Amino acid sequence: MNCEGAKDRLLDYLNNELPAADRATLDAHLANCPDCRHELAETKQVWQLMATVPTPEPRPDMRTNFYAMLDTFAEAEAARPTRSWTSILDQIKSFWTPTLAARLAYSLLLVSLGVAAGYWLQQKQSPDVAYRQQIDTLSSQVQEMRQMMMLSMLENPSATERLRAVSYTKDISDVDGRVIDALLTTLNNDPNVNVRLVTLEALADLGHDSRVREGLIHALPQQDSPLVQVALADVMVKLQEKRSLKPLRQMLRQEGLNDLVKSKIEQTIRELS
Amino acid sequence: MLQVKAGDMQKMGLLFERYHRELFGFLYHMSGSADASEDMVQTVFYRMLKYRHTFTGDGSFRSWMYHLARNVLVDSVQKNKRSAHHHDVAEYAERIGGGARADESMQREQELATLQDALTKLSPEHREVLVLSRYQELKYEEIARILNTTEGAVKVRVHRAMNELKKLYLRLEH
Repeated sequence: MNCEGAKDRLLDYLNNELPAADRATLDAHLANCPDCRHELAETKQVWQLMATVPTPEPRPDMRTNFYAMLDTFAEAEAARPTRSWTSILDQIKSFWTPTLAARLAYSLLLVSLGVAAGYWLQQKQSPDVAYRQQIDTLSSQVQEMRQMMMLSMLENPSATERLRAVSYTKDISDVDGRVIDALLTTLNNDPNVNVRLVTLEALADLGHDSRVREGLIHALPQQDSPLVQVALADVMVKLQEKRSLKPLRQMLRQEGLNDLVKSKIEQTIRELS
Repeated sequence: MLQVKAGDMQKMGLLFERYHRELFGFLYHMSGSADASEDMVQTVFYRMLKYRHTFTGDGSFRSWMYHLARNVLVDSVQKNKRSAHHHDVAEYAERIGGGARADESMQREQELATLQDALTKLSPEHREVLVLSRYQELKYEEIARILNTTEGAVKVRVHRAMNELKKLYLRLEH
């Protein structure tokens, strides 16, 4: 063993951690090496001196303080809610006061009462005659309102408004004499050709009414616009109104009659007779 | 400790009784202050309670205790840079009972003071391994576990520390 190896092992030697074989070799080296013996002596001195460094006793308050701390900690820990199911249940239980239970029961009762009442009312009134009557009344009122509105709108100076008024007749299910009169008046007197055409269209849809047919026949000689005259002739064909032959023949005798209208009327007369 | 972890706080008392002297000794030799060490013992045990969930039970309770103690030491050094090292040694010498060494020679007293001086001049890493091996009488294997290193590395460090201490001691003595 060389000095390097020996010095590395001095501490273990002092510590009694050296295996017996190494110990013997080191002993042998030390016997022959004064340098290493000196080194060992120094190390030994310090090593042994270290053991004499006193360790004081901790004061008794340390123990007292520790137990005080432990108690405080354990208490704080016990007070802190742990996240287990039982603790959650406990929390719910602590929430569950009699007042809350009463309130919950009351609100549940109210809700079930409402549901029950709803069912009861629905069953009782399902074939509701009164309700239907009410609806009928209401819808007839709406019809009347529409008629009123239409009639008043026909008086409107704006052609657009009058057009709209005429278009309302499609929505009026029960057309009465007033409406037909108003429409016929419009057909004969309205200054706007478009309004007259739309009115004619609306009246043609009401062709099943005898008053409308008569009115249309009377309207024939009163028309001066070729467009309306042609459209009116078409309506006569559509309605197969033979009573219109007389006024149509009268129209042919009119002076300054448009050629196109003339041929159209002649065609209509042929189709009707 | 596993019982403490499971919620039985009072079991901590047993651990305190068994280990507080050892812990105090380590902290005292590392810090040189008995007062500070008493406080630090308290802190270590408090942290054991607070961080009990970090105790896995894989290593021994002892190494875990040293782990915590080293952290507390680092904290206290940072908190108290002026390090009143060994200032109260004299005060404690009285409490230990000077009578015990009354018959010892003045030279012995002198040597001891020199050694303590030398120990404080060691780097904390070197002082630590010496304290652990010489005062706490821990095996290299255990020290390695505490320091998160290998047994061989601990051995080397102890040797270096010892050589360093010897050098310092001899220089101070002469």
